[in-house]
Amino acid sequence: MEIKYTIQGILIYSTIVVYLLAFVVTIAGRARAGRWLFFGGFLVAATSFVYRWLDVRHVPLQNLFEVFLCLGAICYPISWICRRFLRIGGQWADMLIGAIVLFPAGFVFHARPMQLPPALQSWLFAPHVAVYMLAYIFMAKAAFQAGEQLLNRRPRIEQTWIPPEQATYELIGIGFPLLTLGLLLGSWWGKLAWGHYWGWDPKELWSLASWLVYIGYFHWRYMYGKKLPRLNSLWALTGMATIIITLLWVNLSRIFAGLHSYAT
Amino acid sequence: MNRFKRAVLWAALIAVVLLTWLSIYGAFVGAERARGFFNSLPLAVYWFASIALLVAGIFLFRRLTRVPALLLMHVGCILVVIGAMWGSKAGHAMQKNLLGVDKIPEGQMGIYEQMEENRVQVADGNNVGELPFFVRLKDFRMEYYEPGQLIVQSRAGQTWRMPAEAGQTLSLGDGLGTVAIQRVFENFKIDIQQDEPVAYDEPGGSNPALEVTIERPGAPLGRRYVFERRPGHRNPNDPLAMSYIKMVSDYVSELEIVADGKVVATKDIEVNHPLHYGGYHFYQHRYGEDRFGEYTVLMVVSDSGLNVVYAGYILLIGGILWHFWGRRALDRLRTRPAITADAPGEYQ
Repeated sequence: MEIKYTIQGILIYSTIVVYLLAFVVTIAGRARAGRWLFFGGFLVAATSFVYRWLDVRHVPLQNLFEVFLCLGAICYPISWICRRFLRIGGQWADMLIGAIVLFPAGFVFHARPMQLPPALQSWLFAPHVAVYMLAYIFMAKAAFQAGEQLLNRRPRIEQTWIPPEQATYELIGIGFPLLTLGLLLGSWWGKLAWGHYWGWDPKELWSLASWLVYIGYFHWRYMYGKKLPRLNSLWALTGMATIIITLLWVNLSRIFAGLHSYAT
Repeated sequence: MNRFKRAVLWAALIAVVLLTWLSIYGAFVGAERARGFFNSLPLAVYWFASIALLVAGIFLFRRLTRVPALLLMHVGCILVVIGAMWGSKAGHAMQKNLLGVDKIPEGQMGIYEQMEENRVQVADGNNVGELPFFVRLKDFRMEYYEPGQLIVQSRAGQTWRMPAEAGQTLSLGDGLGTVAIQRVFENFKIDIQQDEPVAYDEPGGSNPALEVTIERPGAPLGRRYVFERRPGHRNPNDPLAMSYIKMVSDYVSELEIVADGKVVATKDIEVNHPLHYGGYHFYQHRYGEDRFGEYTVLMVVSDSGLNVVYAGYILLIGGILWHFWGRRALDRLRTRPAITADAPGEYQ
């Protein structure tokens, strides 16, 4: 546990507090106030991300601290897009996800600025990591909707949100191209930096496993449609589990030492 | 859907789940063993079976040919697998047997500065292959981030960092005093003048060092030299340990390709910027220095199958983007605001 007595730390802790406040207010039935608080939290999170960018003088996506900082900042825009254009609910969960992903940035990972090693000095660095971050938040939202479906929770009739099973499908449909783009950009970059477009590195193999789980989901859903909604949801939850392993376990565990170890 | 089609779909699903588990297994055994495993004979059977399944799917499911994006995705996957097989060691052996194309799949070559070389130590073996041209190393150099950093550590484990610039001072507090950087040397040398050691910077070489003073209350001014390459020993009674770190920003090898005595290509290769010539990519891999001088080690990788893999990538991502985003966006624009909660759109 590392408490950060810095401007960066204050910004992170403020965001967590505002996100949690937004969550509590929304749960208490004040959805509109909750949304405004969520937006306020996003502004603080965005400031925190920009502050880090200016501090380290490169796109702050180099290590897990910066990655979680980014995840905390993109929760709101994704939530807004889902609400505004896709009519997918669960905004209170997005507020909670925002607070949860900022927790490791605030209390677990060190924030010491680091210079980019030669391999990371590529124009592919930012898009490769950024599309993965976006994909992960979409897939996290999909997993939440899958959980709602498993718990048999449906949106109230007066609401216009689409049902959880369908929402899961829609969200995976948006996240999957991003996941693919991340995989292929990483492969292309690997060829330029390390000589191989596929190095059989643990991180690469876990990302392939995550991608394949969603491939399996689409084929399964093509075969059975909405006839077996619980199994559809289990596919989505399995996908999220492999993403969490890819993002965290592979970098933190010594079992999976490999070319991506610098991301720790 | 008839039983045969359903059986093919089940086979595809099993193939996907199997590859997922194999990938997880590969992640546990490490990159080297995973590479061997995924290039083994049983896995070759799996790859061929996967291609057969994908082709069967395209012919059996009319939807895959009717919806161009779905076709692109599946053809993309086929191309990626074929390209990867063609570029593998077994693929290179096949190229040699069938087409008479004798290429080195992968290897390393060491070259001293101002020398040229065409021999390649083939990976995973003791063989030495020869390229049909020579690679000359004009110069190798390392570039650093400026300024470096002076790291000060107390015996209690506290750590401070400061930019390695002359004039920088750092107050450590708690009786540890103040550390100040007096001089920064690119190539530190020391000489004895009038029985006194005198440090100076000699142009040309490289031995980065810092001259640091430590001022403590009630103690004489301490002076210390901190070297980047030779950290030196630490006095057990010394309350502070110091190290000078310069982080490498790039490794650069200036290369020339020489064929028939003429320079046919030149490039300064660095990380992320390999040289591509004659069917091979040349990557900066290692460097070193011995009694013969400075040398660089290049990784040499054949480009066989690479374009096929990249073509597969383009088809795959093109198909996925169009199917999941493009088509949906177009539908939304056309039918806006027809999509309702009761009739959400489908990708399939």
